[in-house]
Amino acid sequence: MSDLVAMLGLPFLACILMGSILSYLGIHVLKREVIFIDIAVAQVAAVGALAAHLAFDVEDGSLLSYLFSLACVFAMAGFYSVVRHKVVEISIEAIIGISYAITAAGALFLIGIAPGHAHAEEMLAGSLLWVTWPQILVGLVVFAAVGFVLWLVRRPISAVSQDYAAAAAGGLNVAWWDFLFYALLGVVITVAVRLSGVVTVFALLIIPATTSALLATGWLSRLLLAWLTVVMASTTGLLFSYYLDFSMGPVIALCLGTLLAVVAVFARLRQKAVVRQA
Amino acid sequence: MSEAVRLFALQIALIAVVLVLHTYLGLHIIRRTLIFSDLVLDQLAAFGALVGVGLGIAYASPCSYLFAFAAVLIGAFLLAVIKPRNPAIPREAVIGILYAMALVLSLLWTDKLPGGNAYVEKTLSGYLLWVTWPLVRVTIFTYVVLIVFHYVLRHRFIALAERPGEIRHEHVWDFLFFTTQGIITVLIVPIAGVLLAYSFLMIPAAIATMFTKKWGLAVLLGWALGFLACLLGLASSYQWDLPYGPTLVLFMGLFFVGAIVLRAVLRARRTSAIERSQSCPTS
Repeated sequence: MSDLVAMLGLPFLACILMGSILSYLGIHVLKREVIFIDIAVAQVAAVGALAAHLAFDVEDGSLLSYLFSLACVFAMAGFYSVVRHKVVEISIEAIIGISYAITAAGALFLIGIAPGHAHAEEMLAGSLLWVTWPQILVGLVVFAAVGFVLWLVRRPISAVSQDYAAAAAGGLNVAWWDFLFYALLGVVITVAVRLSGVVTVFALLIIPATTSALLATGWLSRLLLAWLTVVMASTTGLLFSYYLDFSMGPVIALCLGTLLAVVAVFARLRQKAVVRQA
Repeated sequence: MSEAVRLFALQIALIAVVLVLHTYLGLHIIRRTLIFSDLVLDQLAAFGALVGVGLGIAYASPCSYLFAFAAVLIGAFLLAVIKPRNPAIPREAVIGILYAMALVLSLLWTDKLPGGNAYVEKTLSGYLLWVTWPLVRVTIFTYVVLIVFHYVLRHRFIALAERPGEIRHEHVWDFLFFTTQGIITVLIVPIAGVLLAYSFLMIPAAIATMFTKKWGLAVLLGWALGFLACLLGLASSYQWDLPYGPTLVLFMGLFFVGAIVLRAVLRARRTSAIERSQSCPTS
């Protein structure tokens, strides 16, 4: 038992920590229909880290590498908010998709110059097993700070997520609030991807928010359901990965997906029963 | 004709044919906001090939292609039938979750495979080294057949984008649409790599969407600008010995950013012209 806690304690803490903030952000992401923002932001952050490595020969995870990543993420947040405001003919998700392809091509250029730096499989699957206390503390401080800012600005940001056009017509500076949202999301994703890899972060962002949408509509009830999903999937995922010896991140993502499928079937049956009763 | 010139000519011919179908399918994908459906099919093709490896089938062999195609067909089926009825869940979320599951299955499958990590990297970066000229010929032939197929049935497919929920057997047409996307994924990704294939699909169509709503004109505009960007990218790649795929993507990206700026300028001008005409009405 103590072996189990020693091995899974920190990864579990990391999942709960990431899941708490990512599932809230996921509800916004779903409302804004910017589903693949995580992959695009992770790619931009990787370009920043590669640029830092090339310019100053610093290792991944160093402060300078983080700063370069964040600078690229903020630039991308600015780009998304301006383009969404100025170009109405094309959806922001399409802009995100194309920016992902362009930045990934940029990363390939940089990898060509600095071979051996990037390790695609590790970036995707992550290394949740090797999470350390300092990483957890950095995550705690960053996520708490972002969470506090999100709480302070919850009204304008929610208004923009709910209905962009109505928020703009109501006099809100939508481009600024959009920038702030993407910048905060970018900070969380940059830190979270280094804890657990792109796949787990993507799954924690999208799947709990989708699961909660099947069962509830209010913000608070959706958030509570999403957190419950995170706790259940993290617990079962970590136990499965421990006993069957699989990578932790992908198993947790698979558990989140399975839980969603079960809830979707349940929601469908419940809907049919309601229709029959009516 | 020297070998380099022959290669250059073949690449240009291939890009010219590929861009017609990709631009047209890209217009559908952008108008229906199915932006990352291509990534789902890419990942499933990779998963199919990885399952083949696990069963002892050589990577990138004809049999491996069959495994990839079978996985892609399952993906096309799932993409066609899973349509959330809940308005709080956009269809793109289903696409995202299918992508995550395909990626997770690939990672878990390779977890137990000797040298599995190397295979995951291979499926991500493409496998240009295995490309043969017969494969290129088969690719061009298949593209031409698919272009004819989509031209003949264009009214049905366009109705899917313009009048969703109104056409009969929508799931079947959706399945055929995603299957086309799957076939071109299986064929073009080994030649061009995931990123370039995705860019062929998205960037010319996105540029055209910003300037016209007419399908024919959009295909023509997207194809012409995409082809010009690729031609410049290809020439630069030869001239300065730059990596082929990323250079083409970056040139198309440059055109895309230029189009965004032009669109924003045109919109600002139109807005200020409207404001001027409202503030000083003609007598």
